[in-house]
Amino acid sequence: MSKIKMLPAMDKLRFSFIFLLFIVIKCESVNVDTVSSDIRFKNVDRTIDISSQLVKITSKLTLENTGGTPVKNFLLAVEQFAKNNVAFVGAKDSSGKDLRLVETTVKGHDQVRFWRVDLKDAVNAGSTAIVTVETVLTKALQPYPTAITQQEDQLVKYNGNLYTYSPYLVASQKTNVIINTKSVESFSKVKPFTQQDGAIQYGPYPNTKPFSEKELVIHYRNNSPFLTVTRVERLIEVSHWGNIAVEEVIEIEHSGARLKGPFSRYDYQQDHHSGPASVRSYKTLLPASASDVYYRDTNGNISTSNMKVKKDSVELDLRPRYPLFGGWRTHYTLGYNVPSYEYLYHTGNDYLLKMRIIDHIYDDMQVDELVTKIILPEGSTSVKANLPYAVTRLPDSLHFTYLDTKGRPVISFTKKNVVENHIQDFQLRYTFPRLLMLQEPLLVVGFLYALFLCVIIYVRLDFSIHKAEHHHKD
Amino acid sequence: MTVEVQAKPSRLPHLSSDKQLTFIKLAVLSMAAILSFGTRLFSVLRFESVIHEFDPYFNYRTTRYLTEEGFYNFHNWFDDRAWYPLGRIIGGTIYPGLMVTSATLYNIMQFLNITIDIRNVCVFLAPFFSSLTTIVTYLLTKELKDEGAGLVAAAMIAIVPGYISRSVAGSYDNEGIAIFCMLLTYYFWIKAVNTGTILWATMTALAYFYMVSSWGGYVFLINLIPLHVLALMLLGRFSARVYVAYSTLYCVGTILSMQISFVGFQPVQSSEHMLALGVFGLCQLYAFTQYLRERLSPANFELLFKALLTTLLATLGTAVVALTLTGKISPWTGRFYSLLDPSYAKNHIPIIASVSEHQPTSWSSFYFDLQVLVFLFPAGLYFCFSKLTDANIFIILYGVLSIYFAGVMVRLMLVLAPVMCIVSGVAASSLLSLHVKDIEPKVEKHEKKKKHENNLVFRSEVGALFVCVLGCLLISYVFHCTWVTSEAYSSPSIVLSARAHDGARIIFDDFREAYTWLKMNTPEDSKVMSWWDYGYQITAMANRTVIVDNNTWNNTHISRVGQAMASTEDKAYEIMQELDVDYVLVIFGGLVGYSSDDINKFLWMVRIGGSTERGAHIREADYYTPSGEFRVDSDGSNTLLNCLMYKMSYYKFGLVYTEGGRPPGFDRVRGAEIGNKDFNLDVLEEAYTTEHWLVRIYKVKPLPNRGV
Amino acid sequence: MSLEIESMIRYTSPINPAVFPHLTILLLGIGIFFTAWFFVYEVTSTKLSRDLFKELTLSLVAALFSGFGILFLLLWVGIYV
Repeated sequence: MSKIKMLPAMDKLRFSFIFLLFIVIKCESVNVDTVSSDIRFKNVDRTIDISSQLVKITSKLTLENTGGTPVKNFLLAVEQFAKNNVAFVGAKDSSGKDLRLVETTVKGHDQVRFWRVDLKDAVNAGSTAIVTVETVLTKALQPYPTAITQQEDQLVKYNGNLYTYSPYLVASQKTNVIINTKSVESFSKVKPFTQQDGAIQYGPYPNTKPFSEKELVIHYRNNSPFLTVTRVERLIEVSHWGNIAVEEVIEIEHSGARLKGPFSRYDYQQDHHSGPASVRSYKTLLPASASDVYYRDTNGNISTSNMKVKKDSVELDLRPRYPLFGGWRTHYTLGYNVPSYEYLYHTGNDYLLKMRIIDHIYDDMQVDELVTKIILPEGSTSVKANLPYAVTRLPDSLHFTYLDTKGRPVISFTKKNVVENHIQDFQLRYTFPRLLMLQEPLLVVGFLYALFLCVIIYVRLDFSIHKAEHHHKD
Repeated sequence: MTVEVQAKPSRLPHLSSDKQLTFIKLAVLSMAAILSFGTRLFSVLRFESVIHEFDPYFNYRTTRYLTEEGFYNFHNWFDDRAWYPLGRIIGGTIYPGLMVTSATLYNIMQFLNITIDIRNVCVFLAPFFSSLTTIVTYLLTKELKDEGAGLVAAAMIAIVPGYISRSVAGSYDNEGIAIFCMLLTYYFWIKAVNTGTILWATMTALAYFYMVSSWGGYVFLINLIPLHVLALMLLGRFSARVYVAYSTLYCVGTILSMQISFVGFQPVQSSEHMLALGVFGLCQLYAFTQYLRERLSPANFELLFKALLTTLLATLGTAVVALTLTGKISPWTGRFYSLLDPSYAKNHIPIIASVSEHQPTSWSSFYFDLQVLVFLFPAGLYFCFSKLTDANIFIILYGVLSIYFAGVMVRLMLVLAPVMCIVSGVAASSLLSLHVKDIEPKVEKHEKKKKHENNLVFRSEVGALFVCVLGCLLISYVFHCTWVTSEAYSSPSIVLSARAHDGARIIFDDFREAYTWLKMNTPEDSKVMSWWDYGYQITAMANRTVIVDNNTWNNTHISRVGQAMASTEDKAYEIMQELDVDYVLVIFGGLVGYSSDDINKFLWMVRIGGSTERGAHIREADYYTPSGEFRVDSDGSNTLLNCLMYKMSYYKFGLVYTEGGRPPGFDRVRGAEIGNKDFNLDVLEEAYTTEHWLVRIYKVKPLPNRGV
Repeated sequence: MSLEIESMIRYTSPINPAVFPHLTILLLGIGIFFTAWFFVYEVTSTKLSRDLFKELTLSLVAALFSGFGILFLLLWVGIYV
């Protein structure tokens, strides 16, 4: 299940209830690798998709072992200028299986981020292997100019590396940049290159040295929604009465070119091409079994949304209260219920919750900060979390709500810089004695009975000072 | 009601008759209480759980502050979000009863782990207190007449529109709990008068304290009770019971009421409270003279009495004059004058007259809000007079006074509604018990009655007919109340809805759209100028600083805003710079036909703007056509067509087609094509306009750079 | 990991959520009936005619039914405790 192997030393910590951190820096200090001189890339076929707000780089690497011993792993590298933008790195072998990746460091290259890819089968001397690497960068596209008026198109600039950044020699490489538009203001012209509609091809370039960089700049029109979820808090509340309630508190900002000058409602209504860079609405996909969906903010229900029930999902067409122009922000709460049998498994008193750490918010989403909180039924013990990738575990807490006495355990973790590739399942196992389900109704029964007892006692009390008079009346 | 009383016994034959009676009483009362809660939920079911109108938003905001910051911070709260740059001391200028009540409820529920949102507590507080009012009305009427009348009154008050208008779910205002406090005070007062015990008198004082803490209308109460005492004195019914009750109430109640910082020393200084003080003094004198009369010979007593009376009156008169002259006794406030003289406010204080709820009540609204009660009320008064007791005198006084006040001001209908229900309950119950007896010939009466019975023919038929007619009236009352509640009093006014041509419901959610936009997309410290109606909503929903709000305490400040709205762009710019305004918000209904927008309120802005010295150049007449009409089309006055409010409302509107077959720029509220279409704004720029153009927000441009 | 999931069965509520409304009405109905009976008994009986055992039994039955009724009411309206 897990894509990134957790460190053995952390295994113990991971399941304990104390404050626990998966700190990337800590990993780096532990992992030190060296660049093997036996490896070279025979061919690299790279696609850079910059048609949305994300930069999605897919590279098909043909790895060749030129040395004498079998190669079990190799390194991936990301340039210094882009290292903070990396949201996701994944690798697959030729049969489409996920490979394990570990972040690592190399002596002498402190400014470069490295990942070690562990191959399933060692590559023998002289043979080759094909690996597909996918990298997703966020915030790598800069709006230029940074502020536009309502009617203008949004132009963005992509600054990248013309060559595949690699610690190894690359024998031959090609790059295909997908921009999905014909209106390109300017782009780097390093021969050989061709420009077709919606794409620019570079290469092939022979024999590039390790760690070689050459500036690749493309300035083009990109009116796709530039929305950043600055923070999302996902709350999963498990009830053993057959329901799992999910609530997401979302803050969104339009992170593209800022709106300059006035907003004219007249133009916006008159002309549907007005405000090409603005976002009127977007689609959120919910699980197919989602019901009782609500969409609101602190001022109440947001009445502008449509729900379509599809075969494998519920599609919500969410329209914020106002269209989002560059720099405008909004926030909302989206909640729904799903039946427990979709995500909760059990044998006896042992339970296993298998749900997504984060769910789809909109296509090509980018999330700055994710906080996921899982509220388990009151009385759940020995909680163990199993996560598909490294997250920061926050201290456990207690949540008090209806009919609680000692509080429900809350497991929470956070992660920064999240993209669609992070929509993966986590597993949470815990123990819950079934008899405890009776606690809640019995609490109500006890409370009511106590009230009735008070009445019984009250009617037996006599507050009057004149006792004799009372008897006379009777 | 009547149907139930007759039907229930046959279903429960195994219970003894007093058990049946208890069961019916319990059932009717609890059903009335539940009904009064339920009938107020129309807007929640139709829209959502949301706070309504304007003032409730302020109350909601302060309640939220109270729950978050605690009582002491709340009490010392200086609010810099309102009345910029003056600010407002919230703790000392509000009646905190409402906020404290809901914060207490909220904290209790949080303690019990009932994690209900504070907004929902606020939304459902008024219906909840209506349920309590129903029960108190039963108790009060039971004291006045009997249990039957109590049940009828309880059922009536549960659904009376006059009270519902102010207590639907979401209408989170002082009145919602104040009516409960008022009736509770009355109940305890009647109890105190009937028993003459200090216990009940103290309870009255405590209930009075709660009332003072929650509504300014307590003044009515503190005048009514002394009036009752005075009436008892004049009718020769003054007794030790009344003496004990009133003396205790006045002392404890006054001291308690002075603990509310907004009330402060008013109970001993302002003229509105002087009746209570005077009657208190009179009580002592009266009791003292009675004591002396018992001890002295008539001749001596006469002499002493005369001497004392003259001295006292002379001292009192001098004291009052002296205190008024030195300003210790505050002059009568404007709102009180307008109670006595309906035309006072309109002539003297435009800001009071501009509020629709301060207008005199029309005859139709009496029927609209009270329906059958209007006809039962006189009958009830008759029954009260026919068996005069101390308590009945009180209710007669209460009824007559509140009818007068309700006629003066629409909002005081609220005070009238409970007494209408009580008196009508007495009437309905008396009439029914009179005639139901006749229908059942089985019930053997005393000899005297039997003799009487034989005198009339068709007695049982007439009785049956009468019961039927009254039953029909009561049923029509139920239908009327439900209809009024559903149609007139259940729209949250923050969300508007309309019917499309195909019958589908369209929601206009523009207000929240605009406020959310302000909240999310303007700098935290922005100052927003708008007409005062929207001040509370902006601070509560958009969390931005406003220049003026619904707490219209500073006339000159409001007048300044009115002047800005009524001036030309460059004049207005000076005022906006002076007030440090960043954004201006106007409400414009011309596109969708929303009639209570700023253009329709504009004349009030002109009047209030022109009412102070600095706005002397703004004359109402300038905004009319030569023939004296208020028109926005090309015939309209030039001053109007070039003032800031006009420009902000109609900016770019001249290009919009609103209705088929009409020229562009057709205003659907005024029913006219606007006169000034093609203009640009120099000092403002459109920052945001909502989907249906209901709210338009403009940004004030910064001063141009020097030399440009 | 996936092996363990296969050995587990999907968890469903011990009571089908579809019957929550019916259970609510039934249990609360009985509960309210006994509550009313209890209160009427309390109000109408005098010091002499009161029977402690009957009071306790009545209130216990009322509390039991109302308590479970309230629980299912909460579940019905969407407050999954």
